[in-house]
Amino acid sequence: MKSTGKPEPTVTIDTSGYAVATEEIRSEAKRLLLEKIVDAVVGYQSGRRKGSAVPVIITDPAQAEQLVFSPACVNNLSIYLTKAKKEIRAKGKLAVVAKGCDLRALAGLMGESQFKREEVVIIGVTCAGVHSAGVQPNEPLTSATIAKKCRECSVHIPEGADLIVGKLPLLPDLTPTEKELLEKLDAMTPGERWEYWKEQFTRCIRCLACRQVCPFCYCEQCLCDRGRPQAVDTSPRPSGNMGWHIVRAMHLAGRCSGCAECERVCPMDIPLNLLNRKMAQELKELYQYEAGLTPQEKGPLTSYDEKDDQSFIK
Amino acid sequence: MKHDFEPKIVAFVCTWCTYAGADLAGTSRMLYPSNVRVVKFPCTGRIDPVFILKAFQKGADGILVSGCHPGDCHYMAGNFHARRRFAVFRKLLEFIGVDLNRLEFSWVSAAEGGKWVEIVTELTEKIRSMGPLTQFTDLNDEEQWSGALSNPELKAVYDQV
Amino acid sequence: MSRIGVFICHCGENISRTVDVEQVAQAARQMVGVTYACDYKYMCSDPGQTLLKKAVAEHRLEGIVVAACSPRMHEKTFRNAAQAAGLNPFLCEMANIREHCSWVHDDRVEATAKATDIVHMLVERVRKNKKLIPITVPVTKRALIIGGGIAGIQAALDIADCGHQVVLVEREPSIGGHMAMLSETFPTLDCSQCIMTPRMVDVVNHPKITLHTYSEIESVDGYIGNFSITIKKKARSVDMAKCTGCGVCMEKCPQKKIPNEFDKNLGFRPAIYVPFPQAVPNTPVIDREHCTKFINGKCGVCQKVCGPGAVDYEQQDELIVEQVGAIVVATGFKLYDITEKPKGSAIKGYGEFGHGKIPDVIDGLTFERLASASGPTGGKIIRPSDGKEPKQVVFVQCVGSRAREKGISYCSKVCCMYTAKHTMLYKHKVHDGQAYVFFMDARTPGKSYDEFWRRAIEEEEAVYIRGMVSRVYQKGDKVVVMGSDIAVGVQVEIEADLVVLATAIQPRDGADTLAQKLGISYDKYNFYSEAHAKLRPVECATAGIYLAGACQGPKDIPDTVSQASAAAAKVMTLFSKDQLEREPIVARVNEKFCVGCLACKKVCAYGAVEEKEIRDRQGNLIRVVAYVNPGVCSGCGTCQATCPSKSVELDGYTDEQVMAMLETL
Repeated sequence: MKSTGKPEPTVTIDTSGYAVATEEIRSEAKRLLLEKIVDAVVGYQSGRRKGSAVPVIITDPAQAEQLVFSPACVNNLSIYLTKAKKEIRAKGKLAVVAKGCDLRALAGLMGESQFKREEVVIIGVTCAGVHSAGVQPNEPLTSATIAKKCRECSVHIPEGADLIVGKLPLLPDLTPTEKELLEKLDAMTPGERWEYWKEQFTRCIRCLACRQVCPFCYCEQCLCDRGRPQAVDTSPRPSGNMGWHIVRAMHLAGRCSGCAECERVCPMDIPLNLLNRKMAQELKELYQYEAGLTPQEKGPLTSYDEKDDQSFIK
Repeated sequence: MKHDFEPKIVAFVCTWCTYAGADLAGTSRMLYPSNVRVVKFPCTGRIDPVFILKAFQKGADGILVSGCHPGDCHYMAGNFHARRRFAVFRKLLEFIGVDLNRLEFSWVSAAEGGKWVEIVTELTEKIRSMGPLTQFTDLNDEEQWSGALSNPELKAVYDQV
Repeated sequence: MSRIGVFICHCGENISRTVDVEQVAQAARQMVGVTYACDYKYMCSDPGQTLLKKAVAEHRLEGIVVAACSPRMHEKTFRNAAQAAGLNPFLCEMANIREHCSWVHDDRVEATAKATDIVHMLVERVRKNKKLIPITVPVTKRALIIGGGIAGIQAALDIADCGHQVVLVEREPSIGGHMAMLSETFPTLDCSQCIMTPRMVDVVNHPKITLHTYSEIESVDGYIGNFSITIKKKARSVDMAKCTGCGVCMEKCPQKKIPNEFDKNLGFRPAIYVPFPQAVPNTPVIDREHCTKFINGKCGVCQKVCGPGAVDYEQQDELIVEQVGAIVVATGFKLYDITEKPKGSAIKGYGEFGHGKIPDVIDGLTFERLASASGPTGGKIIRPSDGKEPKQVVFVQCVGSRAREKGISYCSKVCCMYTAKHTMLYKHKVHDGQAYVFFMDARTPGKSYDEFWRRAIEEEEAVYIRGMVSRVYQKGDKVVVMGSDIAVGVQVEIEADLVVLATAIQPRDGADTLAQKLGISYDKYNFYSEAHAKLRPVECATAGIYLAGACQGPKDIPDTVSQASAAAAKVMTLFSKDQLEREPIVARVNEKFCVGCLACKKVCAYGAVEEKEIRDRQGNLIRVVAYVNPGVCSGCGTCQATCPSKSVELDGYTDEQVMAMLETL
């Protein structure tokens, strides 16, 4: 991962708190299962490759020892609580391990009536950052291996979780590469931006991994899969791709929690989170809206203010 | 007067204010360019951004979305919701690289036949001078990634991602 | 749908002058799905409509496009014709080639091309149209009135006199509201109680009116024609069926030193009491907060002295449910309390006027009680502090009203008139007294209003000073009012015996909570919002709920009564049919695909979207989806544009119809 600014010296990020977090997650998961407060815990366990981590759902207190937290715990587990994952919801009451960015997604999902706060126990993890896509899982967390979203994270501590585990180290100042890239794009002419996105989207193979991984893409039937009427061409060709990515960004505007999972899973490395971040920026500028850690009754696009800006309307 | 290029303009309007305003322009026999095709909705609140996308893909060179003035919505708040929706959607299109001069928004009341004529005329003339919008229609013909980046700066930015 | 008929109208020459109608008809014949196309001089004429009906039969048409004038002009005409020809009226659409084409373009080639395009769009639309059946909603012909002031009483009597059942709910132990507290009313100076109390008695005696006093709305379910209202009847501690209203309990109650709210705390009342002698119903209520029996159990006198044995200390709050078809909200107002800054409010208060600290600074309603023949002083105007007759009284208008910097920017409308009335009442009772009025300007529109105001100045010698009051303070036994006279440009100081503040009118406390129960909207001051300021001033946007009186905005008695009768008329219009018929342009939820994010519910201005639980055969909850109540939906379609998966669709304006039109571009 290269920075868009001047090259910065590689800084190692202190992740000693992750071991503490792992211990605390294990004991809390064990307690929750033993005391039958929850029926299952959604967390991370070690993967087959050294240092890697994969999501796991445990129902037996003995399994709690498998749970881990490390820089490889990139997944946003909130997706397992959406209606798109009915079989997991069917297990009963759940506890979920959540980083700050994941908690934002949980809050958003609660705001959208996907589940109620009392139905879920949230084990919040104090997080200094996780790996960027493509980094070898056993590599240490450094300014070179950290995910872009973590470079400008504002939710290291998941306030509002039922229990907050781990502790926050002193964090180095990292250049906000995404913000810089956004500024660069904003400075271009519309024509240049179009060329940029056209190139990006034309690569899209419409595997829809971005949709699959997004906690907010939980629709039973996606508008973009519909045939009658067909709003967006479903074949992976430039026209339909453009339509899909525009519709995706629009449907996530005011809902996206900024977990950047879409971008992480994209096999074609399309910078999808740029679109989400841009939308978030606009919503903040226009309506002072920011995705937060507590559920909100209405989102910015399901509410209005009579005094909203209308300088663009004749 | 004949022009080299006659743009295709699509107007998405609400039935209570702007459609009625356009009717008034008719009953008042005001003249305006014939480029506009009107699609009627009960309320601007019903107008989906997807329709704008579809119209562009189908070859519209300019689009107008128009409804009741704030506070005059027949359905109380439909235009307020539309205002937010389109404030955000136009920002998205701008970021993707669509020239916002091609997408116009207005409030035209049932009494503003004159304003309707003014807005449609201005938009038509503006788009006429801008030429056809080929961004979206060109994509229809493209099968796959061209693999080419048009200038070195873009290439540099692209490589950084 | 593939058998569509297209009918191009010449409209005399209105269309054919600029549009080559034959060419459009020719082009239409080539369009996919069009079986028949023709042009005719006047489609809307009888022969034109006959032509249409004949064509439907001859060509077995399944859809119709009439290319003519604006649908706002003749859609109804042609849909009726289509229906007469045996087609569902919603399979008929109009292509507007007059207002939107022939009248606004002069180039025949361009206009013809555009007309063809318009027809093509509408043909594609009709191909996707579906049969729609008008929605009928049964109507329970019973009305609920919330609030038993003059507005609620008027509405209740009007509706009941029309022969419908009425349920009247009043929060206080007696109906009557603020009007029962007034002394005399402008501009005629007739005694308020003399005109009010007979109406109150009419209510209680009316066979069609069920009265629930000392009761509140607990919850509201349902929709127009079919509301289910849960009412909380607070424990009165007196059995209404047994009580004869003899009043012995009140006489014997040892606890007599409770400030009388009805008299604005000027007098006292016992713990078992009726708010005022003419109360309706004339059944006392025990104020459990102050009753010795309820405080420490050491009394019980009222129960002992009650002959019929009506006093019941064990009585509990009771919930009852009433089914009604319409609701009139008439909850009235309260006066802006300027004693202190209200907690958590943007309103700043008027500490500088000493209200609440200086006993001889009172508000308008307190003055009404002082001037009332049935008031605590028997109508004698005296100072609350020492009981002396005030010889100089200063009235201050616009206290709170029109004071943007203090948080209220509206005009309270009635204060100019009632202050003028106060100066008169004062002069009539204290002949050697002098009234001063600080005012910003006098607003006296209304029949005989300006004459009344002028009389106060010219005949009753009230001194009106145009200017604002900056401070009020106690000096010895006088109250000094400091203000400015902007007409002369000097500072004025008046040593008054009594100061009366015309404080702003505000909605009742809890107006917002009630609005949330009812699902109606309110403005930033908590006044209820009408559906349209000009054309639907007594209706709420929520169908079946109507507004009367000051809960919608400051109003005087004549305006309140007019609005109450108007609301009653609206209710009676609704009740004139057994079934309510509505246009079927409403949203529908596809439950198969709805994931229950309820974005639609959040954007619905009508509260038409509800949550619906889907259960399996064993009754286990599977999921929650949105449900649009067709009786409430007004058909704006905002829900559909908001729904990410388009699982809610507006009939008549579906995505399929719109996309089909766009495909023709």
